[in-house]
Amino acid sequence: MSQTSSTEEKLDHLKHYFVDSDQQFEASKLGMWVFLVTEILFFGGLFVAYIVYRAWYPELFLLASEELDAFWGMVNTFVLIGSSLTVAMAIRSAQLNQIRGLIINLWITIGLAITFMVIKYFEYSEKFAKGIVPGSAYSYEGVAHEKANIFFSIYYMMTGLHGLHVIIGIGLMIWLVIKAKKKVFHSGYYTPVEITGLYWHLVDVIWIFLFPLLYLID
Amino acid sequence: MSGHHISSARFLWGVAIVLFFLTFLTVAVTWIYIPGPWNVVVAIAIATVKALIVSAFFMNLYWDSKFNILLFVMSIAFFLLMIGITLLDTLFRVDPIPSF
Repeated sequence: MSQTSSTEEKLDHLKHYFVDSDQQFEASKLGMWVFLVTEILFFGGLFVAYIVYRAWYPELFLLASEELDAFWGMVNTFVLIGSSLTVAMAIRSAQLNQIRGLIINLWITIGLAITFMVIKYFEYSEKFAKGIVPGSAYSYEGVAHEKANIFFSIYYMMTGLHGLHVIIGIGLMIWLVIKAKKKVFHSGYYTPVEITGLYWHLVDVIWIFLFPLLYLID
Repeated sequence: MSGHHISSARFLWGVAIVLFFLTFLTVAVTWIYIPGPWNVVVAIAIATVKALIVSAFFMNLYWDSKFNILLFVMSIAFFLLMIGITLLDTLFRVDPIPSF
């Protein structure tokens, strides 16, 4: 009898309209991939803006990207790849029923994500202090190009939207920690960890392209 | 059970170390002079390899159902279509530079 009740307990997460846990898991993951497709095309619009304007003003991009510090861009790339690793480790912990490891890995990921945002904050505030702001309020004289504000508007839109995704990711990780502490996850059910991981890796992939395109032009 | 591939900790660390190395490489190639447009090509090529590694081994597409891979590939295809069709306009305008 006790065997049966423990099996039932482990199927708490299973919705009645799914045949079994695996089908539910695959359906959730498929849904997340459809969402990621929309995310790729969402950011894709900004990448197209970047490409169009770089084709129009190639010399502007060379000049203006010198205002961005490639060192901090590289540090942030390392931070995000590190956080992708810890998310992958968190999923592995969940798959192996190691809930403590899951929580620790999620906390490290949150820490790295906050590190990323703190570095981004210092980068932004250094530029704001110089008058490098998006749009028509741009007042920096240091870039010898009449369209300098266009590069920085693209920069702020792309990194800003990316930063927003990082902040949402931090929120999702905190939600996962709370659920993990309530012992919701086990090797038979860790779908939210898996699909948040997919989201987080996509945020990492987008930064992998933003870093060379914005910081490393020369 | 395609969705439940469990990677070993060693494997995940290996993937991350390769990604760290490629990040360093992205920066290192800017120290040597590569005549443009090839510097952009090299930067995008390395970034693409990194993105493929992340999607295959961190996002588990390598072990995943073919349908999820199809979705990912189609999103890239439509993204390239968006770039291509837009450039067909913007690259061939008589008065190419707009006022903004």
